[in-house]
Amino acid sequence: MNEAEEHDLIDRFALATFLEGARLWEEGIASIEAIDLAMRAGAGLPMGPFMWADTIGLDAVLGKLETLSARYGQRFAAPVSLTERVLRGQLGKQSGRGYLTHRRSG
Amino acid sequence: MYIKKAAVVGAGTMGADIAYVIASAGVPVVLRDVDAAQLDRARQHVSDLWNTRVKRGKMTASQAADRLANMRFSQDPQDLADVSLAIEAVSERMEVKKSVFRELDRVLPPLALIASNTSALSISELAAVTGRAKRVVGMHFFYPAHMMKLVEVIAGEETARETIAAVMQFSEEIRKIPVKVKECPGFVVNRVLMAAMAEVLRFKEETGVDAADIDQAVTRGGLAPMGPLRLADALGLDVAWEVANTLSAAYGERFRPSQEFASLIAAGHYGIKSGQGFYSYR
Repeated sequence: MNEAEEHDLIDRFALATFLEGARLWEEGIASIEAIDLAMRAGAGLPMGPFMWADTIGLDAVLGKLETLSARYGQRFAAPVSLTERVLRGQLGKQSGRGYLTHRRSG
Repeated sequence: MYIKKAAVVGAGTMGADIAYVIASAGVPVVLRDVDAAQLDRARQHVSDLWNTRVKRGKMTASQAADRLANMRFSQDPQDLADVSLAIEAVSERMEVKKSVFRELDRVLPPLALIASNTSALSISELAAVTGRAKRVVGMHFFYPAHMMKLVEVIAGEETARETIAAVMQFSEEIRKIPVKVKECPGFVVNRVLMAAMAEVLRFKEETGVDAADIDQAVTRGGLAPMGPLRLADALGLDVAWEVANTLSAAYGERFRPSQEFASLIAAGHYGIKSGQGFYSYR
């Protein structure tokens, strides 16, 4: 596997995980905190999908989704909850708020 | 509502593990199965789990004996007449579960709760065969249940808030982490895992990269503790196949299993248990 392929694999895995989490929340199946906790305690993920997105930065997540949806189609379309937050400037940890609220340390 | 005695119905690995977890927390539990041989295997399984803890110095032999004494292995439905919560863990077939639910509804005290450990079937549909839909709930444990901390607590259409609260509290009491979820195919964890897995399989099909390279990239990237293909082999590809089909019927294309996955199933390659899956174990 070359470097470009590996990069593509990692992005597709991470974004498919995030997108399914976002759908679950938008459908009202579970809360953001519950979904993050479930993925850590039930699947051993080091970070839940929302904490992951807030850490990467929601603007960066949106950028990745634009690239992936152009290449692979609608299954990578950005969820409304993401585009709304980016428009409002809620970009995740860097801005103190994204899907979750982050207190600045120090 | 306080659960002072519980029951687990179905003494397969999952049922035995759940009963072990309950007994380990000091709560008396009846493990019920129609098959005596299955109950013997369950007794052996939980004894092995406790013996391992004794050998590792985590508890004394007498503590292990006390915990085993919390468990009662029974073929008799009348032994459930004084429990306040019964957890059904029989095979994942609607008709089998419904007949268990009907029986539980008859033998349990009127206020007792009935939980199903289903990973896919409708809680509301199961609740409908009982006269106590408000007191029916999903408690989805993860394999292996004696190690995995999560319990998805699933509300059906008629589940009462008090039922959810009681089951959330009980889950904590038996040292689990409960998460409240509404009813939908796959609930939270399987839905997210299978979405990522389907994407990885599409990548595999398009690029021809082999399973080990894919798994290594995912773990090296810090995305998951185990590669998705090794995880699928460990869970059983037959099980994953069933879930993938349920999810693609419910949500469409993005869950559709790949051609390679279909070929493995057709050839009887179910992962570790059959010696061959995405990897070979022979």
